[in-house]
Amino acid sequence: MSETSNQQIPGLAQKKVFKIIVLGDSGVGKTCLTYRFCEGQFLDKSEATIGVDFRERTIRIRNEEIKLQLWDTAGQERFRKSMVQHYYRNVHAVVIVYDVTKPESFHSIVSWMQEVESHGLTNAPRVLVGNKCDCGTPESRLATTYAQRAADKYGMPLFETSALLDSECDNVESIFMTLAHKLYSKQPLRVISVEGDQSYGVVTLPRHKSRTAPPRDSCLCS
Amino acid sequence: MEHNNLDAASGDKFNLNGNCSPSPEKQSFDLNHTKNIDDISTPSELKFDEDFDFEDPQISEKRKEIERCLHSPDTVNLDQWQHLARSKGGLISDDYRKVIWPLLVGVTKDEMTEPPSLDDLSTHGEYNQVVLDVNRSLKRFPPGIPYEQRVALQDQLTVLILRVIIKHPNLKYYQGYHDVAITLLLVCGDRASFPLLCRLSCGAAAPLQPFMQTTMAPTQHLLNYMLPVIRRADPDVADCLDKAQVGTMFALPWYLTWFGHSLNRYSDVVRLYDYFLCSPPLFPVYVTAAIVLYRGGEVLRCDCDMAMLHCLLSRLPDDLPFEDILVTAEKLYLENDPEDLEPEVAALERREAEIRHADEERMRRRREAGARARAGRGRAAAGWRGVTSLAAWLPAVTSRRALLATATVLLGVYVYYRPELLFNR
Repeated sequence: MSETSNQQIPGLAQKKVFKIIVLGDSGVGKTCLTYRFCEGQFLDKSEATIGVDFRERTIRIRNEEIKLQLWDTAGQERFRKSMVQHYYRNVHAVVIVYDVTKPESFHSIVSWMQEVESHGLTNAPRVLVGNKCDCGTPESRLATTYAQRAADKYGMPLFETSALLDSECDNVESIFMTLAHKLYSKQPLRVISVEGDQSYGVVTLPRHKSRTAPPRDSCLCS
Repeated sequence: MEHNNLDAASGDKFNLNGNCSPSPEKQSFDLNHTKNIDDISTPSELKFDEDFDFEDPQISEKRKEIERCLHSPDTVNLDQWQHLARSKGGLISDDYRKVIWPLLVGVTKDEMTEPPSLDDLSTHGEYNQVVLDVNRSLKRFPPGIPYEQRVALQDQLTVLILRVIIKHPNLKYYQGYHDVAITLLLVCGDRASFPLLCRLSCGAAAPLQPFMQTTMAPTQHLLNYMLPVIRRADPDVADCLDKAQVGTMFALPWYLTWFGHSLNRYSDVVRLYDYFLCSPPLFPVYVTAAIVLYRGGEVLRCDCDMAMLHCLLSRLPDDLPFEDILVTAEKLYLENDPEDLEPEVAALERREAEIRHADEERMRRRREAGARARAGRGRAAAGWRGVTSLAAWLPAVTSRRALLATATVLLGVYVYYRPELLFNR
């Protein structure tokens, strides 16, 4: 993993890489969520993910550049068993996604947690994400208190968001930034920060694209 | 599923291939039939292809030859159709493909039957997954296709897929099957694509059959043939893939969808289908090998890292020279018969199993170490945090009284070991 070709902070030989795997049932919006974070916009023509997809983005924590690698997995069960296994190797953190308008996808969290534990990731930072909160009516959406209870049970923070709404993009940011911060503070070998480290504990979020697209109100779900 | 209720209304208007036409005989081998209102969405009307100002004279010549063959199809044998499909440029146009694809896999007109309605199929267990994937297949439709027409085609696609897995309950739907189905549907229409898709899915030598088993293990095994083929042709590239442990996942969607999922240009997809419809089932794997070899320079220049290589390889450039790649793949196939490769594949899989085993062992140890660390922390932890978390691990100790007793004992033990905290002020 030589980073020599990339622009980087002088004095640092290598960018830190945090590997995050994104799990959840088919159609809950894993691809759109990772796309929103990495590209700063909503993926209009999202397709079913076959196998595993990969996206990355460089962020900055305390003046240090960190590469977040997001592994976006297929939701269909047949891909999980043997195929995705390879990608659990060296994973640092886990994002489990459900669709707030589809209770089944929420109930699957149990099996996703089992899967995570079977891969020895019990101690890895995890977050639970309820996606598509722009869809449906407040009554048809899974109640936050209910989801919060599950999140508490597994000891992970809960985020409710929408990969579609531009107004929610800060929330999407905070999902991955929370993980990044947790991982950063867990690092046993801290690289001594370079000079000018005035932003102690403050995250700088580089905006990739200007978000000038007209706000979208309609739900794209069908 | 907002469009399901449109089905009844749109069924008459948007049937493909003139489903409403009274005489089915008329439809299949007559290219010159006049377009009527029922044909509004015939595949040939859907424009994917850029209009070429200039056509390669060789292709123009081939076009004439195909038209000659189509005028008197009874005089043309399978070998000749196959030759046309495989040789440079393939079958050139969807007008020709629509007739020739069924011939390549031996589908007869009698098999092209009227599809059932979507409502009849909606109780199937895979219905939701299929609809979910079909609804997300927007990218596969011709740009600018009217909304109603697209929705009608998507319904036809759902019906097509469900028809196959209902007829063959042993076959399991996989994400990606819809990419194959839509290619057939767009080219051949809903009546011809059903027997065509059945032929490709069911039977010992059916190319999609391994993908439709209960697990993906057979697919994974077949995809593993790619690596020895690459190794024999270019050991440096193979070493690089090996060292990065990139695996074969980057090529999985290629193989599962015959590249339908991964290529942006429709013309490339149908060209490959021309070839695959008359190739051995494993041939697409040789095409994946040929693509990796073609991009060998990029592979060697890339960081030897799983993520980087996966990222590089999984995104196919738009300008791949598929005619050359097919020639290379054919050559690779002739030089490296699948049977010859078996020992190498077996060795590869043994090694993978060892790595997996070591991984599992490592995970087991990590779990145990984690449990030990927690237990240790539980013994020595100060204050209520330790006590409460201990209570969480010992679900039996849930009553308040038991909790209080445990806490007292633990505090006693703790103070015994570290008295300085209490007395050393």
